[in-house]
Amino acid sequence: MEDLRLEAKKKVLAIKDLPTLPQVLEEVSKLVEDPNVSTEKIAQVISKDQVLSAKVLKMVNSPIYGFPRRISTIQHALVLLGFNVIKGIIISTSVFDIMNTSMVGLWEHSLGCALASSVIAKKANLKDPEEYSVAGLLHDLGKVIALVQLPELKTEVEELVKKEDIPYYLAEKKVMGFGHDRINAWLVDYWNLPLRLKEGLAWHHQLGMAKHYPEVAAVVHLADFLTRVFEIGFAGDDQVSKLDGRVFKILKLSLSKFEEILDELCDEFIEISDLRPD
Amino acid sequence: MQKIPINLAQPGMVLEKPAVKENGQVLLAAGATLTEGIISQLEKKGIKTIVVQGEPLDMEGLTSNPSFEKRAERLEHLFRYYQNDPVMQKIKKFLQYYFRQKALISAGGQKDS
Repeated sequence: MEDLRLEAKKKVLAIKDLPTLPQVLEEVSKLVEDPNVSTEKIAQVISKDQVLSAKVLKMVNSPIYGFPRRISTIQHALVLLGFNVIKGIIISTSVFDIMNTSMVGLWEHSLGCALASSVIAKKANLKDPEEYSVAGLLHDLGKVIALVQLPELKTEVEELVKKEDIPYYLAEKKVMGFGHDRINAWLVDYWNLPLRLKEGLAWHHQLGMAKHYPEVAAVVHLADFLTRVFEIGFAGDDQVSKLDGRVFKILKLSLSKFEEILDELCDEFIEISDLRPD
Repeated sequence: MQKIPINLAQPGMVLEKPAVKENGQVLLAAGATLTEGIISQLEKKGIKTIVVQGEPLDMEGLTSNPSFEKRAERLEHLFRYYQNDPVMQKIKKFLQYYFRQKALISAGGQKDS
């Protein structure tokens, strides 16, 4: 079993097929290692890639972030959202870009989860809700990468979901021996993403394992569940995910707060159905 | 509240949410009443969908925004894998109750307006 997993990990991370992240991201990642670098300088580098900049601006102006006024420059976006969030947005658009339209359902699910994560984080009085929404946006990245790197296994997973009418996550484990959450953990290391993002991406199905940032994993866990309750997009099956009752404790959510979250989602989910990655 | 494609918009409908271009620019504020002229302007400027008050169109099967009553009904299907899980059943009951309440409130609200 260990051998199989190691081999799969190698395959998943085989660089030749792994979606390449835009070159500016690499440049910028180097820049931010210097704590004295200005946002102006970072913005300059990102703005060189005009297609990418347009995509980033489209996302930051989407209802997910809900800024009252239009953000028209990368620099402004950086100041408002921080580099980690912009980096997450660049990764998600780049990865989903390589997919054809068959992944539109997963993209919509990811957007829904990003929106729900930010709503939950705000209601739970957590600082920097945008950081949670980016974890929600990226939480199913492993599913996209699995399709690219392990296409035969992916088909087998989909067939098992249909045949046995079981959740996608369970089918992944039956076929591959691990779920997309493990792939997420490998990718996060490979792309050098921060630990709080790693805990959200790697443990959104196993809350107890997030030791450093349990609230990030809990927000994504609840957001994934609610996105499925509202059936926004398609994440591989038409089922809710199993909700771990501990989320309410970790996020200190009362029942009335939970209802407020539902109220807000009823109102806001309607906005994202036509936000396509294009 | 209903999201509709712009080509099905009719004069007299009232915007529930602002009409916003892809780049974030607001073209028309919430609360505005549509006219023939406004609708064609919005179309020209690339607006594809708008969110209007009430449920003026019967878009069953066409819309990604089913009614609260439909959502309550769908929960049986969405929770089918967890029939023997008492915690999940409790959550399902709570959500069913929640969506039914919303359905009642929204039905009441429409009579008033």
